[in-house]
Amino acid sequence: MKKRNIRLLVKITFVFIIFAFIAFYSSAVFLTNEADEFINANLESKFNNTEERLKHHISKGREIESLQRYAEIKPLVIIPDTDYYPVFSDTTIYDAELEIERTYKKKTAIINVNGRYYEVTIIRLIEDFMRLREDIFGSLIPAFILLAVSFVIFSYLLSGYYFRPFNKILELMRIYKVGQKSDVKKITTSTLEFNNMQDLFHEMIYRIEGDYKRLKEYTEHMAHEIQTPLTIIRNKTENLISDPSVMDKHSETVKIIYEETNHLSKLGTTLNLLTKIENNEFNKAENVATKNVIEKHLSAVSEILSLKSLSVETELSDEHSIFIDPNLFDVIVKNLLNNAINYTPSNGNIKIQTTNNKLIFRNTGEVLPFQEMKIFERFQRNNSSRNSLGLGLALVKKICDINNLNIEYSYTEKIHSFTIAAS
Amino acid sequence: MKLLLVEDNTQLLFDMKEFLNANDFRVETASTLTEAKEKVNMYQYDLLIIDIGLPDGSGFELVKEIKKLKYETGILILTAKDAVGDKVEGLNLGADDYMTKPFHKAELNARIRSILRRNKFNKNDEIIFGDLKIDIAASEVFVKNEKIILTKKEYDLLLYFVQNPNRVITKESIAEYLWGDHADQADNFDFIYNHIKNLRKKISSAGGINYIQAMYGMGYKFSLNQD
Repeated sequence: MKKRNIRLLVKITFVFIIFAFIAFYSSAVFLTNEADEFINANLESKFNNTEERLKHHISKGREIESLQRYAEIKPLVIIPDTDYYPVFSDTTIYDAELEIERTYKKKTAIINVNGRYYEVTIIRLIEDFMRLREDIFGSLIPAFILLAVSFVIFSYLLSGYYFRPFNKILELMRIYKVGQKSDVKKITTSTLEFNNMQDLFHEMIYRIEGDYKRLKEYTEHMAHEIQTPLTIIRNKTENLISDPSVMDKHSETVKIIYEETNHLSKLGTTLNLLTKIENNEFNKAENVATKNVIEKHLSAVSEILSLKSLSVETELSDEHSIFIDPNLFDVIVKNLLNNAINYTPSNGNIKIQTTNNKLIFRNTGEVLPFQEMKIFERFQRNNSSRNSLGLGLALVKKICDINNLNIEYSYTEKIHSFTIAAS
Repeated sequence: MKLLLVEDNTQLLFDMKEFLNANDFRVETASTLTEAKEKVNMYQYDLLIIDIGLPDGSGFELVKEIKKLKYETGILILTAKDAVGDKVEGLNLGADDYMTKPFHKAELNARIRSILRRNKFNKNDEIIFGDLKIDIAASEVFVKNEKIILTKKEYDLLLYFVQNPNRVITKESIAEYLWGDHADQADNFDFIYNHIKNLRKKISSAGGINYIQAMYGMGYKFSLNQD
């Protein structure tokens, strides 16, 4: 089934209008019935009144002819079947003066005056009554439409006003990041439900932040604490390496132990650096002129570059600077450069460019063996390079995120490029 | 020469002490800040090796104390590798050099010797090893009294070897010594091989023997014995 997203107020409005329609319709029906009853009772009493008066006049011996203007009176010879009377019916009579048909109610009844029976036919104009009945519908329908329309408009306007705190809370939830330094703002609202939701959100953040902090401390301690044992293992292994009686037999084993220990140690160091960056321990940001730093790193790797026959092109602006802790910028340049050196095939080309607030590292190379979007994930690396930790670019990304820098990766025409710009 | 080694991990302390003893240093140890302060106040050391993370305080306090006492000594601080700020702080306080943990013992040896040279001892240092003579003050190398021209990296490499003779120096250790922060390059090992090849060639063309032997594919040994 397809799930549809309907706004709460639209739903409420819709339901309300349906209920209002039912309420209006049933009250219209009720009022019409009431009106009918009223009309009937009213006519009944009028008819009865007229009958009583006719009886009275007849019993006083008034000429029947003189009473004909009140009602049509026919003296009866045969005693009629009284069960059949009275007879009610509607009739229209042409009004010559106004030239319209007018609606009347007609009652034919038998009256008994001093033992004589008369058939009396009384008519009453009921157009006014009918108009009253129509007015009930006539007034309820516009009232309903007015109510419905105003409710829709009202709820639309209210959704802006009453739902503003709700939307604000939602926005806070959306932008919330685990481990963020600043407190989450509290939105003031008198709406109970929104307050409940907000309180729950704050409680949740509190728990998450607590767990996250403990986890981070744990990682930090772990990464730090393993260094000493690893140093000891490495020292002992180095002793073994210098012992010919061991090496003649077990050189391959010792070699593997040594290499893996080094790998583990580098991993610990880098993970710890990553944690420290996340903990914002490098917060002495300043405007770092990028040209000198990049040139310094390039000269440090110049021998490696020539050994791998990599050519480097630079286009460095003297003005370009980035607002960042210098230690972190060092890490960025080092890792981007290492990445370029590691993944550029021999005789390839590396180009470093700073222009218009952008820092671009480009290098030639084959397409990634994994999805482009995963390039900044931890431990995502080209399998062929055993020496890579798979943390360099994750580190760069983390630093960029924390310093409000935007880093983008793209691959076109066999060139990988990483672009860093202030966001 | 007398060193004070301040390190709280007993195993590491033992290891380093053993290694430094084997390299003809007299080594005393302290495993807490308090103990180290006491020893510094009682004895004279040529060099202090100080770990920053001590159980009863920071090693920086010891450095400050030494500077306050106007104590003439070399200071080498040991920091965790990720503690970028520590290096700067240590050097600002007046330490002569720093090393990041985990370090290679061969490099520790080289750094210690370099500090001792730079300080009052052995100012006109000459290292003689077989037919080799290295004039450290002038950064010049002689083979059978004939001067050979080395590049900066070749010279550093030779000095590293000469200071750590007769033991296997791993490629990792060499890479870290020569390139520091850029040591984790995948192709560095090929590069070391290149440097060593050139170094051998330069020494042998001046009539020297091949001092550098490749060991088990893991590293190199610098010695007079040629197998």
